[in-house]
Amino acid sequence: MTTPSRSAAAVHDTGAQVPVADHRIDVEHLTKRYGDNTVVDDLTFSVPAGRVTGFLGPNGSGKPTTMKIMLDVAAADAGSVSIGGHRYRDLPNPARTVGAIVESDAFHPGRSGRNHLRILADATGISQQRVDDILEQVDLAGVADRRAGAYSLGMRQRLGLAAALLGEPPVLVLDEPGNGLDPQGIRTLRDLLRQHASRGGTVFVSSHLLSEVEHLADDVIVINQGRLITHGALAELQHAASLVRTLDASRLADALQQAGATLRTDGDDGLVVRGMSLAEIGDHAFVNGIAIHELSPHAGSLEELFLDWTSTAPHPEESSQP
Amino acid sequence: MSITRLIRSELRKITTTKMPLAFLTVLIVIAALNAFAVVSGTDMDGSKGFIATEADQQSLMAFAFNAFMGAGLFGVIAVSREYSHHTVVPTYLASPRRHRAVLAQLSAVALGGCVLSIIGALLTVAAVAVALPTTDYGFLVSVSNVIRIIAASAFAGAAGAILGTGIGAIVRNVGGAVTLTVFIFFVAPGLVVQLANGTASWMPATLAAVISGTLDDVGALAAVLALAAWAAIPAIIGLVAVQRRDIV
Repeated sequence: MTTPSRSAAAVHDTGAQVPVADHRIDVEHLTKRYGDNTVVDDLTFSVPAGRVTGFLGPNGSGKPTTMKIMLDVAAADAGSVSIGGHRYRDLPNPARTVGAIVESDAFHPGRSGRNHLRILADATGISQQRVDDILEQVDLAGVADRRAGAYSLGMRQRLGLAAALLGEPPVLVLDEPGNGLDPQGIRTLRDLLRQHASRGGTVFVSSHLLSEVEHLADDVIVINQGRLITHGALAELQHAASLVRTLDASRLADALQQAGATLRTDGDDGLVVRGMSLAEIGDHAFVNGIAIHELSPHAGSLEELFLDWTSTAPHPEESSQP
Repeated sequence: MSITRLIRSELRKITTTKMPLAFLTVLIVIAALNAFAVVSGTDMDGSKGFIATEADQQSLMAFAFNAFMGAGLFGVIAVSREYSHHTVVPTYLASPRRHRAVLAQLSAVALGGCVLSIIGALLTVAAVAVALPTTDYGFLVSVSNVIRIIAASAFAGAAGAILGTGIGAIVRNVGGAVTLTVFIFFVAPGLVVQLANGTASWMPATLAAVISGTLDDVGALAAVLALAAWAAIPAIIGLVAVQRRDIV
């Protein structure tokens, strides 16, 4: 992919758009059921403008369903989603306000990439010149007239990204946009999304590539089994744990868990504790007569955090909002 | 969102795959078969009585029921594959008021079905006209009746395409939708006629023949309205179904 600056700048260049400050996404008490299966369960969070928000959760956690409800492709059983205060269907020109990837292969395999984008441009009143421009931007110009069915996975992903960026939208809702991209493509995608956010755009992106999200996201929203596990600034969340070392780790673990902390072991004598301050951990150790050899803030990787967050079924009281 | 833009987008969808070409090929084959029938076919007594009169030739050239069926398949494939390829997702993202997208789709597919049907009728008329000099009979059908054949095909094609669009929106799976369409064309009319006396005149094949001027079981206007109803019912059901369902 080539430089992303054109698209990112266009966030401001499109005069018809409402102010960027209006483009936050608000999800309130969203619930979605398929039969007896509750896929999204009373989900509430906000995605602010001007930041990249990663949307994380294990397979089957309800991420794509949440995104589809945001975009009115699926209906909620309860709750609501607004983008800039409006339901998606009430936006004056939704495809030019929100660029989305919700299905990675949403194209006819016998149709060329260029024609796929032309169809979208026709529907939304976008010029054909813009189609040529976006094909250049995502580095597909050379293969734009080939059947999309013959594209590699990475090329298909770039075609989906081109479709999302076509309308120069201030809001991006992208489900796994990095799938199939080579390292250079991922790097360019990251730069593009970061620049989009830095210019005031709203970027909401789900990914299972945790290392990529770690490089990309300002904020994360984590769900499991359709319920909110945690959300907040990634940097704060990464530092929201404590490491305690003691020769009586088992007994301290019991005491801390009874007091409401979540924890995991770190070697024979270590515990990584969340949901409790350093002082509280020290107090509990003191009250229980346990000698501690180390008590310090612990900065975990996103992968480590993710496994901690999603290793157990969620309970409402576990959700934290730092 | 302008409905004109959506129709333009839907028309581009239709014209940027090989499906119209495939249907055009079928139309050429049908025309060739008609020419072959004129050149080589005979009645049971060995004569060419089936092309001896204007009415016989008009009946041979009447393309409206073929148009209805062909355009029905055209419509059902055009729409159901939208779901199988997920291309309906960007369509509904561009037009979250789905009835507008579906109306655009109905318009575009109806236009496509109409154009293909006119081409099919013209090819059939031309094929018969080219083949007749190999027989003892000339081209006996009047210009007005040729125009009627073509107009009937155009209408039946549009109606069939709308019916197919409706079924494609209801069923979504291409195989299932095509199967249901074939059932409606070939099996359902027979069952209805057996279950309800006096309904034979209101089946698509008869109605198509009436508007082509080769049968007069019912009035032409009534036939037009009845064929339109055959198309409208699945289209309305499809329109309602699309409003309510999740696109997953």
